[in-house]
Amino acid sequence: MTAISTPQRRAGLVVPPWFLRHAGVLAVLLLIGVFTATSSDVFLTGANLLNVSQQIAVVAVLAAGLTLLMTAGGIDFSLGAIAAVAHGVAAQLIVAGVPDGPAVLVTLALGAAIGLVNGVMVTWFKVTPFVATLATSTALGGAALLIIGGQSVSIGDHLMMIGFGEVLGVIPVSVVIAAAVCVAAALVMRWTAFGRNAFAIGGNESAARLSGIPVVRTKLLLYTLGGLLAALGGVMLVARLGAASPGAGGLHLELTVVAAVVIGGTALHGGSGTMVGTVLGVLLLGVVANSLNLLQINPYYQDVALGAVLAVAAIANHLRGRRT
Amino acid sequence: MDVRIELAGVSKSFGGAVALREIDFAVNGGEVHALVGMNGAGKSTLVKILSGALVPDAGEVLIDGAGHGALTPRRARALGVSIVHQHRTLVPQLTVAENMLLGRLPRRAGAVDWRRAHAEAARALAALDVRVPTRAVAGELGPAQQTLVEIAREVATGGKVLVLDEPTASLGGADAATVHDLVRRLSSAGISIVYISHHLDEVLGLADRITVLRDGRRIVTAAGADLDLAGLVRAMTGERISHQRPRRDRAAGETVLEIDALASGARLAELTLTVRAHEVVAVLGPAGDGQSELFDLLSGRRRPSGGRIRVAGADVAAGDVGAALAAGLRCVTGDRLAHGLVPGLTVDENLDLTRRGLRRPWLVRWGRLHRQAAERRSRYGVATIQADPPVSALSGGNQQKVLLAKWLDAPVQACLLEEPTNGVDVAAKADIHQLVDGLADQGTAVLLASADVEEVLRLADRVVVVRAGRVVADLPVEGLSRDALVSLTVGGTAS
Ligand SMILES: Nc1ncnc2c1ncn2[C@@H]1O[C@H](COP(=O)(O)OP(=O)(O)OP(=O)(O)O)[C@@H](O)[C@H]1O
Ligand SMILES: [Mg+2]
Repeated sequence: MTAISTPQRRAGLVVPPWFLRHAGVLAVLLLIGVFTATSSDVFLTGANLLNVSQQIAVVAVLAAGLTLLMTAGGIDFSLGAIAAVAHGVAAQLIVAGVPDGPAVLVTLALGAAIGLVNGVMVTWFKVTPFVATLATSTALGGAALLIIGGQSVSIGDHLMMIGFGEVLGVIPVSVVIAAAVCVAAALVMRWTAFGRNAFAIGGNESAARLSGIPVVRTKLLLYTLGGLLAALGGVMLVARLGAASPGAGGLHLELTVVAAVVIGGTALHGGSGTMVGTVLGVLLLGVVANSLNLLQINPYYQDVALGAVLAVAAIANHLRGRRT
Repeated sequence: MDVRIELAGVSKSFGGAVALREIDFAVNGGEVHALVGMNGAGKSTLVKILSGALVPDAGEVLIDGAGHGALTPRRARALGVSIVHQHRTLVPQLTVAENMLLGRLPRRAGAVDWRRAHAEAARALAALDVRVPTRAVAGELGPAQQTLVEIAREVATGGKVLVLDEPTASLGGADAATVHDLVRRLSSAGISIVYISHHLDEVLGLADRITVLRDGRRIVTAAGADLDLAGLVRAMTGERISHQRPRRDRAAGETVLEIDALASGARLAELTLTVRAHEVVAVLGPAGDGQSELFDLLSGRRRPSGGRIRVAGADVAAGDVGAALAAGLRCVTGDRLAHGLVPGLTVDENLDLTRRGLRRPWLVRWGRLHRQAAERRSRYGVATIQADPPVSALSGGNQQKVLLAKWLDAPVQACLLEEPTNGVDVAAKADIHQLVDGLADQGTAVLLASADVEEVLRLADRVVVVRAGRVVADLPVEGLSRDALVSLTVGGTAS
């Protein structure tokens, strides 16, 4: 059963439903935040928070696309690989002398095209989303390395605006982009027929189709949008690093994105999900990674922590779903 | 008589809204105890508590005199309480045999012994006179056959108390009679049956005792022999409702819906019929027969193997959902949770889905959506205890009303109604019947696929009887007796 949508009254004040729904993640986030802040003086400094926000900006952009897709009952395991390919392609285009603007646009178009291929496999050829995107993910992982020849490709001082620009002198451009994408996704999910159709398809595809909702078209668009946003993430990645390199993007980014969305409470079987949850999930993973860093814990524990947080979140979601 | 299972002072509410208030309810050994009440009265909630699927907020469940605070479905089953839910729970991808023996498939040397599994399942089905092949895939069975398989499964696990939540809601005369026989046999074998139904005549014929619920309260518990139809209805509704069959004087107009030699596999062989404007034509057949194919074929969900469908003189592209909708053909499923509604979305949004699918707007205007939905809800009498709950939280009858409101609340050329009063209470049934009359009055060509003879006689102008996929009769309803119709459907063997 999905969350009850009426506000609940407690001790005379009205708690909005989204708050109740995400109270668990919020509590864990605060707990880890407070703990890290007390054990390290660096955590709450402006420089560190800025650093964290830049690191999670890319994850947030990819997670926005995945939230929409998963709400419709889909899944995409190739987003990290698309980001890796995109960051390589953008770097090579710039090295080849293409001006920044066109290079970015071509890269975004490529990402969208790859997403569309995923969508075609899923809708026209009826391949399970898991298998289809696993296949593209594997192929693109190789392609990403081929594109940069297995070496770092520096872009010099290109794309400085995206990588290091600031709005109002403090807020990094990448964070602004991520925030804009997340807000846009939230609005789409609430106010557009396209977004609501995603919920209907994820909730009951047969009923949605019989109601005349364009199921195939919506799915194609969702996968395309996922690819486009992944490519945008790739561009942000290369802009921040100043170079395309073999380790960027790929499987680790992918897993972080999936984890963030699941932690945010989006149902794996579709039909329910929120951007607020996804953003909280992204924040939580970012803060956990940062705090492990600051507390100088062996970096190998990062993946252990990621897995553990994911497992706990998935169990919590299950328990919440069962409660009536 | 010994009390097998008992509820003492049980209350249950959902998010502050009360569904059951201080209910005392007891089932004796070997009795058939019927539970009746209007949609949303709390019947399903009550039996879910009996079977451990819901935990009461207050009060106690006593099984064989012992209290069980934390009853779970597994514990309840171990204690001999099994239930056939209102919604079908078979795993659609598995075969009938696998479904029947779910979790207890016979093994030999660690591997599943399929031969024995099928034999066991076949024996259990045969014992109840259910004719369904054990190798059939559950999802491909009609709703009636699925119900029978589920009952057979629960009976086979050998409980002492069997709860049946609207087992005959989607069954026709012959299959319903099978269920009734079965219930009588089981109860004389000492098994207690809790029987929920909106078919009051069936309840009066079967039940040793009847408990009436209204708005979550127990109104009365009495011996079946002490109650009559009028008294039962009064207890359920709290006031008198009258229903009578209106003698209609509308004349059929031009042909709107033409079905020409429609064929599909073994279930439907060359069905030809026409429905004119202002006319209600019923396709009646044994449950799971040709009429159950019509929804898939007319809605465009599946492509027929032959034949044509025309609406208002124009061919409708086969197997194309959009084309059927655009032609003004609305198909309302008999399986609301599988093909009709999105359970996780709210009532209001579900009501808006068909409009959204047709108009394809860019934006969703919630204010207008809620306003229009409020109108439809009141017109169709959808009662909810919360403001705009997800459809999954509604009682079965209210879900059915949402389903009809979603599909029919706009002028349509032609419509197919599959079991339109599946699981609704007497008052709602009368409302829905009036609604169908209203559709025909407005000029819609109504095709009714039903297994319910009474309903066909009440609603239809003409009836087409199918048996084994073929049309065996096409007659005006005027002057047709109930018994004549029944014997046409079942092949002249019954009354
Ligand atoms: N999980 C739930 N969450 C919220 N409300 C619920 C839930 N289950 C049932 N209700 C509400 O409790 C009331 C009683 O529902 P119940 O399903 O017991 O009715 P019923 O008597 O079985 O009706 P019907 O004949 O229509 O099946 C209804 O108003 C229903 O909306
Ligand atoms: Mg019910």
